[in-house]
Amino acid sequence: MVTYLFRRLIQAIPILFGISLVAFAIINLAPGSPVDRFQTGRVSHQTIQNLIHLYGLDQPLPVQYVKWITTFVQFWRVDAWGFSFVDGLPVTQKIFARVPSTLELMGTALAVTILFAIPIGILAAVRQYSWADKIITTFATIGYAMPSFWLGLLLLFVFAVELNWFPLFGKYTFGQEGQPLNLIWHLVLPVSSLAIQQIAGWSRYMRSSMLEVMHQDYIRTARAKGLPNSGVIYRHALRNALIPIITLLGLTIPSLLAGAAITETIFSWPGLGYLLVSSVNTRDYPVVLALTMMGGFMVIAGNLLADVLYAVVDPRITY
Amino acid sequence: METNMQLQAPAPGVGTDRRAVVDEVDLIPVRTYWQLVRQRFMQHRLAVIALVLLAVLVILAWTIPTLTGELYQKTSLDLIDQGPSLSAPLGYDHLGENTFVRLMRATQTSLTIGFAAVLIIVGIGVTLGSIAGYVGGLVDNLLMRLVDVVLSIPSFFFIVALVAFWGGGNVWVIIFAIGLAGWTTAARLVRAEFLRLREVDFVQAARALGASPRRIVLRHMLPMALAPILVAATLGIADSVVLEAALSFLGFGISPPEASLGNMLNNAQRYFYREPILMFYPGIMLILVVLCASFLGDGLRDALDPRQRIER
Repeated sequence: MVTYLFRRLIQAIPILFGISLVAFAIINLAPGSPVDRFQTGRVSHQTIQNLIHLYGLDQPLPVQYVKWITTFVQFWRVDAWGFSFVDGLPVTQKIFARVPSTLELMGTALAVTILFAIPIGILAAVRQYSWADKIITTFATIGYAMPSFWLGLLLLFVFAVELNWFPLFGKYTFGQEGQPLNLIWHLVLPVSSLAIQQIAGWSRYMRSSMLEVMHQDYIRTARAKGLPNSGVIYRHALRNALIPIITLLGLTIPSLLAGAAITETIFSWPGLGYLLVSSVNTRDYPVVLALTMMGGFMVIAGNLLADVLYAVVDPRITY
Repeated sequence: METNMQLQAPAPGVGTDRRAVVDEVDLIPVRTYWQLVRQRFMQHRLAVIALVLLAVLVILAWTIPTLTGELYQKTSLDLIDQGPSLSAPLGYDHLGENTFVRLMRATQTSLTIGFAAVLIIVGIGVTLGSIAGYVGGLVDNLLMRLVDVVLSIPSFFFIVALVAFWGGGNVWVIIFAIGLAGWTTAARLVRAEFLRLREVDFVQAARALGASPRRIVLRHMLPMALAPILVAATLGIADSVVLEAALSFLGFGISPPEASLGNMLNNAQRYFYREPILMFYPGIMLILVVLCASFLGDGLRDALDPRQRIER
């Protein structure tokens, strides 16, 4: 297992290197430049040239790349990821100020998803073809087809504008920063808009996984020896049906990150996704690059987590 | 695959004499593979409904904007916020634009982007996947590492960066961005299928007969790998349409006065105190397109490759 982990971590290095190349190329080869927004005629030519020099944009691209990547890997330094083009703050500081918000949003959404999707999936599988199953399957299909940003808008309109039960935007009410209850109150809508689609997907997955297990021989054996129904379902079927679900956990993290970009923008949630969208809008290259690298890292880590968890819960799998 | 599926003689020792078997076989109408596919597809009721609905949407989305020309971006002050009428079944918005015509134009744009992006996804995916699967070795290894890299960049970040920095609002940039981010799954599918097919008897036979690699790939292997590609492509349409909507919704995609489902939603959000109903039309249209594409994909999978059918 340790050797396996080690090998996977080694394999991640060239992939991260590839990501850095692709991301750098997409961003720096694009037409236009971060100083374009100063080309209004009111900023002198010399000032713009100074800015270009300050950002290092006057150097050849390979030189820029090498400079960027060699400092980027020294992540323990505050200035390793460069300085924002917009406010001059170190990128590390800017990003890590946002991490808690995104973790709160994603973590809650993931917890709510697991809490709802697994029982719903079990119910649908155990009562296959019943009314409950049909209703669940229908809702899951529609929920999955519903874009999360549209759902977010709908929730905002109904619960924030019309009913006025929940706040329209932000993480805390002004003057109540740091109060857990206020945070939860602000979390309800964004979490629902993220979680409903995830619940729809996960419960479908859980249902088919459970159904597959219920057709196995050992379930028939358990029934044949006279075990009560609940024992068969929870002790024998559920444990095995959960194995493929565990891997979903690792694969969901990146998709939550992307979903968060849109959800955070709708709800003005001060997280990483909101930062990405605003940095792209202002062509804040160092921030966009650092966020893309972080995203890539999360995908790789998520995949690794999925594989490791798979081996942990299923003793038949060894690496 | 053009053989009759029913034409399998019973195992020896079943007890019927040979003549009787032949007679019986003659009575069964010969059905080709594609006839069987159609028959199985027709049995999938939801898929048929989805196909019809999608066809209706496509016809509406292409005829109405064509017939009405520039009407979708025509604003008129005296029509602002007017209710539904015969010429504007969904009324007018806060700019005096005909919402129905605009919705149809938006559906046209979104579907165009969806179809075109899927074409790119399938094009790149099939080309690289078949090269990797057929050639193998170092080429395969390099291509698969490329797949790993693209798969590891969160696709939404990738697309947002591409679209925003490479000319926002340009339809082609959006299509290419979605295509460039999405081809990896198709490539893996085709590669896996090709790795399996490379060792299959009829491919070996073709090779023994001296067929060129080009002929083997195009005539013998690709048709066999078609079913999973077709299913993945159908499902890919839904993803691409939703991605475009998300991009335009965030303001990176198509911007007004051009219409797309995403920018209609963006617009609706800004006016959502005054005219909340505007939010529903593009949303419902998106859900319809996604549902149709996914049912169609399910139906195609069951029809093209019944072995893949999941026990439901």
